[in-house]
Amino acid sequence: MQANNIMLRAILFILIVCVWSASTLTGAASRDEPQKTNAGGSIRAEGLAAWQQVYAVLTHPRCINCHTATDYPQQGDDRHRHFANVVRGPTGEGVPGQQCVTCHQEANADSTGVPGAHDWHLAPLSMQWQDPNDKILSSTDVCKAVTDRSKNNNLDSAGLLKHHSEEPLVLWAFRPGRGIDGSMRTLPPLTHEQFVAATRTWAEAGTPCPQNP
Amino acid sequence: METYKLTVNGQPREVTVDPGTPLLWVLREELKMTGTKYGCGIGACGACTVHLDGVATRSCVVPVSLVGNRPIVTIEAMAEDPVGRVVQDVWVSHDVVQCGYCHSGQIMAAVALLKSMPKPTDTDIEESMGGNLCRCGTYVRIREAIKAASLQLR
Repeated sequence: MQANNIMLRAILFILIVCVWSASTLTGAASRDEPQKTNAGGSIRAEGLAAWQQVYAVLTHPRCINCHTATDYPQQGDDRHRHFANVVRGPTGEGVPGQQCVTCHQEANADSTGVPGAHDWHLAPLSMQWQDPNDKILSSTDVCKAVTDRSKNNNLDSAGLLKHHSEEPLVLWAFRPGRGIDGSMRTLPPLTHEQFVAATRTWAEAGTPCPQNP
Repeated sequence: METYKLTVNGQPREVTVDPGTPLLWVLREELKMTGTKYGCGIGACGACTVHLDGVATRSCVVPVSLVGNRPIVTIEAMAEDPVGRVVQDVWVSHDVVQCGYCHSGQIMAAVALLKSMPKPTDTDIEESMGGNLCRCGTYVRIREAIKAASLQLR
């Protein structure tokens, strides 16, 4: 009889321990869930904040002047139409008598004020970041264009990060050389390293795009 | 000063100049090839056009240090060029030239156009020649001459 009581108490003790453990673990899990949600929200928020930094660079004249919706590139900080009647041409490289390389060489020509980098050309119309009246598109619309693989040369987030890290024309924007008056061209609001870091944060967050206000 | 080995109209040439010297001044001052003209000095008028590896190029804005090993062809070689010869002939037969200052560049641009686009439309001509300015306003005759050259070259 006493042995049975001891057995019952032992079983009861084990049950209590199990129930307590289960509830503790469940409690821990339930505390983890909100943390996960917060972390997810935080990652997205960080991604969106990083995108805004990327957007500030993409819409700087050093970048957006060649992401037009028109038949011509722009130049200068005031984004005026490129002089000399330069036109886009069928491949974004100008036309026979007036190709981009008619003036723009493989590197900046600081002695003459003409910028240059490998394969100087206009971005395709699918990557226009302005409207036909030269107004810069919203953060949402640029983000959608940049992440739309039917428009962006089929780049996924890793491809976008590589593009921002290595593309010669992207690199040029951060080393744009001297203008025709001898002064240094203005730079985007981030260094290239900061730009790549912001792109990485945005990419790792899943390239989130902001909602239109 | 740096020494550069250039190929100009098929001939090897060597010049010792400041790396930032525009190709135009290398041609005119160092090599005494004055057929290529100075107009604006900023690539906006086309008078200085030469061919760099076959591409119409504004020699006033290209530093000699960026030429590399690309062959340079100037107006002086156009009489020996099959397309250049035809263009020069129609320039004469259509009485294109008025003062003539810009026409080295006009012919070099026209030859570049016809070599890559043998049957240019009016729009093609206007777009391709749009960077070559003519203060005498010979644009209509330039367009007609290019169309005539196009017909002759077929």
